[in-house]
Amino acid sequence: MRIAFTTLALAAAFSLPALAADQVEKAPPTGAYKKVSELVKIPDFLPGLGQLYVDPKTLPAGPFLAYDRDGRLVSTVYMLPIEDLSNKDKRFDDLAAPGGKVDHVDVYFNAGHPGVEKPHAHVVLWHVPKADEQRVAAK
Amino acid sequence: MISRRYILRIGGGLLAGLARPRLSLAGEPVEIRMQGNTDSSHVWFDPIGLRVEPGQTIRWINLDPGNSHTATAYHPKNFERPQRIPEGAEPWDSDYLLPNESFSVTLTVEGVYDFYCVPHEHAGMVGRIIVGQPGRSPAASVSAQAAGGEPLPEIALQAFPSIDEIMRRGVVRRT
Repeated sequence: MRIAFTTLALAAAFSLPALAADQVEKAPPTGAYKKVSELVKIPDFLPGLGQLYVDPKTLPAGPFLAYDRDGRLVSTVYMLPIEDLSNKDKRFDDLAAPGGKVDHVDVYFNAGHPGVEKPHAHVVLWHVPKADEQRVAAK
Repeated sequence: MISRRYILRIGGGLLAGLARPRLSLAGEPVEIRMQGNTDSSHVWFDPIGLRVEPGQTIRWINLDPGNSHTATAYHPKNFERPQRIPEGAEPWDSDYLLPNESFSVTLTVEGVYDFYCVPHEHAGMVGRIIVGQPGRSPAASVSAQAAGGEPLPEIALQAFPSIDEIMRRGVVRRT
């Protein structure tokens, strides 16, 4: 009986369609991601970051997916409130990282903006070389 | 450029008509710029302190290409914040201004008006306007918390220029 049940369970598992991962390489990403400028009143393209998408359930930390003007993913950004970083009882665990290979990382202070209204740190996982950061530079 | 004009008539209309603006040609708004550096690690109002005559129109304009800002009076009608504008004066809230958007108010009641940027109050983005004489205003003490509502963060309290400095210099810049 136990063997039959196990066999049935395995058969069922292999017959289920694989859950596809969200497509994030090109804007707009699939899944629960929404364009940040449609969630809050903020410029659609942020110089230095690009066009941002986020799953609202993950606010404020993110991940935010940042795209250049051609809709190509350039970075994954986490926004971590300073007051949380200095709170010994607060942790940010298991943040999703759907963007793939990371070339380099920037961490810097941000004074705030709609959506993340308190001072916070931007942790930017760049998926492109340093020279390609200009793809999201101010025009 | 999008412009929203929100004129506050707060009594003293006749006086407003007779008053001569101190810092601009008659009929021209005085401009306060909303600014930020390239990575938004620093944001500010420029000027941060201003003295004008009753009836002067103030225009805030967002010149920060990478952020949204508000010009919001400290008042219980705005998010239940403490009152830091004169008694009888109408509070204002610009709502979020995108780059190059602007918002105007005309101030006619004499006294001290303290305002802030909603997403950047905790970064110290506040400003102070003195209309005519400062008088006995809820914001008369630079570092004091006005009664009622959510208190101001310390960084905001410390950022206001003093009334003396504004009265002496007319325009106070800290960029």
